[in-house]
Amino acid sequence: MSVVLQPTPRGTVVKEIRTRAANWIPAIVVFFAAIALWQLAIDAFNIQKFLLPKPAAIASAFWTQRSTLWSAGWLTLKEALGGFAIGSAAGIAFALVLARFGRIAAALMPIAIAANAIPIIAFSPIFNAWFDPLSPAPRMATAAVLCFFPVFVNTLRGLHSVRPSQIELMRSYAAGELEIFRRVRVPTALPFLFAALKVATVLAMIGAIVSDYFGTFGSLGITIKNSVSLFDFETAWAAILTASILGVAMYVAVSLVERTVLQWDPTRQERGTA
Amino acid sequence: MKRKTLIGLACLVVAAAALAAGLGMSRAQAAPKLTHVTLQLKWVTQAQFAGYYAAVEKGYYKDAGLDVTLKVGGPDITPEQVVLAGQAEFGLDWLPNLFATREKGGKIVSIAQVFARSGMTELTWKSSGINTIKKMRGKKVGVWCCGNQPELFAALNKNGINPASKSAVTIVNQPFDMNLFLQKKVDAAAAMTYNELAQVLETKNPATGKLYQLSDLNVFKMASPAVGTGMLEDNIFTTEKYLNDPSHKATMVAFLKASFQGWIYCRNHVEECTQIVLKNGTALGHGHQLWQTNEINKLVWPNPTGIGHVTPKQVLNTATIAKTYGVIKKMPQGATTYQYADQALNQLKAAHVDIYGNGYKPITVKVTEGGK
Repeated sequence: MSVVLQPTPRGTVVKEIRTRAANWIPAIVVFFAAIALWQLAIDAFNIQKFLLPKPAAIASAFWTQRSTLWSAGWLTLKEALGGFAIGSAAGIAFALVLARFGRIAAALMPIAIAANAIPIIAFSPIFNAWFDPLSPAPRMATAAVLCFFPVFVNTLRGLHSVRPSQIELMRSYAAGELEIFRRVRVPTALPFLFAALKVATVLAMIGAIVSDYFGTFGSLGITIKNSVSLFDFETAWAAILTASILGVAMYVAVSLVERTVLQWDPTRQERGTA
Repeated sequence: MKRKTLIGLACLVVAAAALAAGLGMSRAQAAPKLTHVTLQLKWVTQAQFAGYYAAVEKGYYKDAGLDVTLKVGGPDITPEQVVLAGQAEFGLDWLPNLFATREKGGKIVSIAQVFARSGMTELTWKSSGINTIKKMRGKKVGVWCCGNQPELFAALNKNGINPASKSAVTIVNQPFDMNLFLQKKVDAAAAMTYNELAQVLETKNPATGKLYQLSDLNVFKMASPAVGTGMLEDNIFTTEKYLNDPSHKATMVAFLKASFQGWIYCRNHVEECTQIVLKNGTALGHGHQLWQTNEINKLVWPNPTGIGHVTPKQVLNTATIAKTYGVIKKMPQGATTYQYADQALNQLKAAHVDIYGNGYKPITVKVTEGGK
C-alpha cells in the first residue's frame, strides 16, 4: 500500500518488478495450493475420475494430445473471433448511430436492454438452420449476437454519459456536433466500450463452444462431447483447459489494447482495469 | 354428545388401522416383493429396444421377480456414465465404446451381446458415383459424433483415408435426421439399417414424386465383407462391482432371461411387438417402427449360440477392429462375461423355448411416406 502513497522514484525498474512480483505471489501460491489440494483430494476421497480427473492426468492429456487440442482450439477460436468482431462492430456502429438520434435511442434502449437478457445461446440450433451448418457461419452468428447487446448497450450509455458542462464548454468554443462527438462523446464512451468488449470476449468463447456442440468435428465443443462419451475425461478436461487459455488470451489482448488506448484516463487506475 | 363422537372417532381409527394392516398383509402374501432394477437405454423410445418394452408389457420381468424401469436415453446421455454413477443397474451400449470406457478406467462388463451383428451403414446416392469407400476421399462425409463414429472411421482408415486429416476428407457432424443428405449438402451419410435408412426411403423424391428406392442408393454395410469394419453393437452391461456381488447373481439371470423372452416374443410377433413400442410413445410412427422391429430382428436372429451370447471370435473381431483403428490402445481383458446369459438360456431351453431362431425369416415391410 505504501507504493500508492509514495510515488516510485524514476529509474528503479528492478524495484518495480520486485513489487509487482510481490503482488503476484499470493495469487500464485493460492493457485498451486489449490491444484495440490485437488490432486490429493481425489486420492483421499476416492473420487471417480468421471466426476473429476487428477490435475496431473489432465496435464498429461493436454501435452500428449496437444496437436489435436490446439487445432480444435484454433477452429473454435476463429469462430469466437469472427463472432466477436462482427458482434462488437455492429454494437458500436448501432450505438454511434443511435447516439446521434436521441429519440430513437430512447425508444430502442429498453428493448435492447431486454434483449440483452435473452438467453441467446438457445438460438444456436436455429442458426444451424438459417446458415450453412457446414460452414462456421452459424457458430459465428451465435457468438456475434451474444457480443452485440452488451457492446451496444454499454457504448450507447457511454456516449450519453457526457457531463452537460463539457458540451457547453465545447459549444462556447463554437465546436460543431461532429467535433463534440469526436472530442467529448467518444473519449467518454471508451472506458464503457472496453468494459463491454472484455465481457464480449468471454461471451464469444461461450457462444462458439456451445454452438460447437451442434457443430463440426474437430472443434473444441465436439472434442469435449466426444471425449466424454468415450469416457476420456482427461481429454475432455484438457479441451476445457485449452478453451480457458484461449478465453483468457482474448481477454488479456483486449485489456492490453485498453491499457494502450486509455493511457490518458485518470479513472483507469481507480477502476482497477490497469 | 361430544363424548360419543370421540368414541365413535376412536372406533373408526382403530377399524381403519386394522383394515390397513390387513390389506398390507394380504398384499404381502399375494405378491412376493419384486426386485427393482433400472435399464438405461441408448436412445429415445423406439423399436431398437422392442424386446425390453415387450418384456415389461408381457409381464416377463414381473414373472421373474423384477420390477424394471426402462430409462429413456438421448443424444446427451451416455449409458456408461449413468450406470457407473449408480443411477441404473444395467445399460445398453455398443461394444467398442464399452472397450474404450474400460480402457479409461470405467469398470463395466458386458453380460449379454443382444445384437449379434452390426446395423451401421454409410449411404451415398447412386448418381454421385461414390460406389466404394475409397471414393469418399475429399468428400463431405456425415457421421454422428460422440461414440457413434468408430465403425465409419475404421472403414475410412482401412481405405487409406485419415478422418482426422481435413485434406483427406471433410467429416460432417450429422444431426439426427437425414436432411443434409436429402438436400445433398453432404456426399455420404451414416444410417442405421433400422432407422435412418428407412427415413430416406420414407421421403418422396422431388424428381419423380415417388418415394426414394433402395436402387437410388449405395448402401455400405459396415458388416459386409466389402467394408469389413462392422463391430458388435447393442449389448447389456453392468459394473464390475454389481457383477461381483454374489447377491446380484439371481437378479442378473432373471433380468437376462426375461429380456431374452421379450426379444423372442418380438421375433415371433413383429406387429404386436411394434404396437407395444408405439404405446410407449415414439417420435416416429407405425410404418417406421414396424420397419425398425423387422430390421432389429435381423440383427438379433438367428443366433447359433443363443440370443445374448456371441462367440469369443466375434468379440475378438470387434476388439481387433477397435484396436487397429485407434478406438482403443490395448486389447481389452475381461470385458465380457456370458455366464449369466448362459444360465438364462439354459432355463429357457429347459422350458423348450427357441433361443436360436434358426428358422427365422424377416417379414416384408411396405415403406410408407413419413413412416406413418
